[in-house]
Amino acid sequence: MSNIIHILFLKDNEAIALFGIIVIFFVIVAFREAIKNDRLKREGKWPPEEQSGKDKVLAWPFLVRKEFLVAIFVMMGVLIWGIVRNAPLEEFANANVTPNPSKAPWYFLGLQEMLVYFDPWIAGVLFPSLIIVGLMAIPYIDINPKGNGYYTFRERKFAVSVFAFGFLFLWVVLIIVGVFFRGTGWLWYWPWQEWDPHAIVAETNYDFTQFIGIDSKSLLGSVIGGSVVVMYYFLGMAIPYAIMRAKNSGTLQKLGFIRYMVVAFLFWSMIGLTIKIFLRLVFHLKYAWVTPWFNI
Amino acid sequence: MEAENKSTNSGTTDKVANNACPSVRRVGRRKFMYYGGWGVIGLFIASVLGSTVRFFFPRTLFEPPTMYTIGYLFEYAQGVSERFKQLRRIWVVREVDKLYVIGAKCTHLGCTPNWLAAEGKFKCPCHGSGFTPDGINIEGPAPRPLERFKVTLAEDGEITVDEGTSFRGERREWDKPGAFISV
Amino acid sequence: MDKKSDAKIKEVVTSSQIWKSIFRRKHDDTKRSRVLAIVGNFFMHLHPISVARHALALKFTWCMGGVTFLLFLFLTLGGVLLMFYYHPTTGEAYWDIKDLHYSVPFGKILRNTHRWGGHLMVITVMVHMFRVFMTGSYKRPREFNWAIGVILLVFTLLLSFTGYLLTWDQLGMWAITVGTNMARATPFIGHEGPFGEQLGMTAHNDVRFALLGGSVVGANALLRAYVWHCIAIPLIVTFLIGVHFWRVRKDGFSGSL
Repeated sequence: MSNIIHILFLKDNEAIALFGIIVIFFVIVAFREAIKNDRLKREGKWPPEEQSGKDKVLAWPFLVRKEFLVAIFVMMGVLIWGIVRNAPLEEFANANVTPNPSKAPWYFLGLQEMLVYFDPWIAGVLFPSLIIVGLMAIPYIDINPKGNGYYTFRERKFAVSVFAFGFLFLWVVLIIVGVFFRGTGWLWYWPWQEWDPHAIVAETNYDFTQFIGIDSKSLLGSVIGGSVVVMYYFLGMAIPYAIMRAKNSGTLQKLGFIRYMVVAFLFWSMIGLTIKIFLRLVFHLKYAWVTPWFNI
Repeated sequence: MEAENKSTNSGTTDKVANNACPSVRRVGRRKFMYYGGWGVIGLFIASVLGSTVRFFFPRTLFEPPTMYTIGYLFEYAQGVSERFKQLRRIWVVREVDKLYVIGAKCTHLGCTPNWLAAEGKFKCPCHGSGFTPDGINIEGPAPRPLERFKVTLAEDGEITVDEGTSFRGERREWDKPGAFISV
Repeated sequence: MDKKSDAKIKEVVTSSQIWKSIFRRKHDDTKRSRVLAIVGNFFMHLHPISVARHALALKFTWCMGGVTFLLFLFLTLGGVLLMFYYHPTTGEAYWDIKDLHYSVPFGKILRNTHRWGGHLMVITVMVHMFRVFMTGSYKRPREFNWAIGVILLVFTLLLSFTGYLLTWDQLGMWAITVGTNMARATPFIGHEGPFGEQLGMTAHNDVRFALLGGSVVGANALLRAYVWHCIAIPLIVTFLIGVHFWRVRKDGFSGSL
């Protein structure tokens, strides 16, 4: 257990522990508010009198006073943190010696973790771009008018679940993993294990077509691999579409074709990422699709 | 009525206590907290400002040394030596009976004068100040002679210069011990 | 020092021309003065005159946007002070950090709070995004402000990332090496990305080369990170924050039904 204490106070890692605590705290606050509002709506007591927006108070002094107190609190926290803990400074930069492990700043560790399962251009360029574009697209693809200005879960189940999955699970948890569970050589270490810089873990991974006995680098292998990826997206996007059409879904009508495609593409990309991680960890899958120019 | 809008009257209205100590000014808890709170914030801001000012005065300097050696007595012939002009910004002057060090900083506005051996004087290129070979100002806007630095002689004859102590000619300090080395 | 002379002094000061030229409102508790405190003050008029009571609750807003802005100001002020003792060269940067830590008066707390404040700002901006999502405050008509917020999130991460390199220690240099090595894997414009080679990309002309000002994380990379971190990104972020706040004011606080 001594190693976990050692890792906890390593370099910038306390900030990540704080990050985890703060996120957990606010997740609890958000969902408690959402559940409370959902209950009020069920009981017919919505909107509560205080949320009618008619009761206004002057910004000075009430809002400004609150902001002032928050500011004092935050400044005191930062100052005490700065007095009690020293910011890290390692040895002088040396281009000939790479530290082991060599980790990106903590907020990028989720992406660095992706490097285990995907090529650099996917993990380092494609995913960040998809995340940024996907985030910006949210207001334009979320056509549900409910939940505008208050916490709710029941009225926005899909949106909240997908966002929670993407942010809390994929982003935050992978950061925690990257900080505390990845040691020397980027190998998996449980928090109580000592990091061994000389440890070698034998791991053989296979491309998808190799499971069915076909060379992944051959033309046939490439075609099969490509079809798998294409079929994944096609089926993922077409089947819910067909179901919603059959049910004459109002959601689909409001979404329209373009929005639906965007939502479906982003959703299945995110899920696909997770599936690939699972397949790699459990079945030692390396690439689903191999081409001379890129691998997925 | 806005619930947050509280009364701004001061705290206690304890008449009995008031009469018991008429000379003591009753402040009341509210006022105490008010002034106390703002007082603490004021102290905090004052200390932040104070520490910011102190921040601007570094403790360690990465500047050239102010104490150094300049060789041995026997290495210097009579006259003005420019041996350490580039490295230390000083002239080493040897006269018949003594050796001293002149700082090559014009007393007008701080430029570095030039030693004109042919004309036997120091001449500052900035505004034309002129000095005799021993540093006395004779021309131009320089208000006083060039300063001399403290020199000490080790047992083996090595000369040490200490720029921390300077001697001014206009204050008749050039004859003081340390301003020169007797030869 | 009795009440009457206190009041007299106050009266004299507050009716002087100097005072009245600076403070144009009375500092009493009337509604007029309170409104003028907001509307008549350059810094305060960021706020609306009044807000819905329920919007005040920390359970609703969490104040994370405000905290992020506060940290930005704190980091900017601290950063400017740090610049007085920092030389962005490979020979001096590391030793300047040590100098700040051990020798400069109050340098230790300045450097520490700058580092921790930076981490905290990345945390609070993410939590702010989470809050805005959970209250659905990105929905119509606030879609564009959310987009600006995402861009601000990216720039906050980049501010932290460029700052990381400035210590010129092993931690910073290799973190940035890992990060910029991803850049060389960019499709088309990275020399190790898909189709990059075919388009003539090499280590000396691809996008990573442009970012680093060279093919290695060296002196040019340090200087560029310094300029990005201290000047370029703060300028861009200031501009975007202005738009972001303007939008919040114009669209109003979400939630009033």
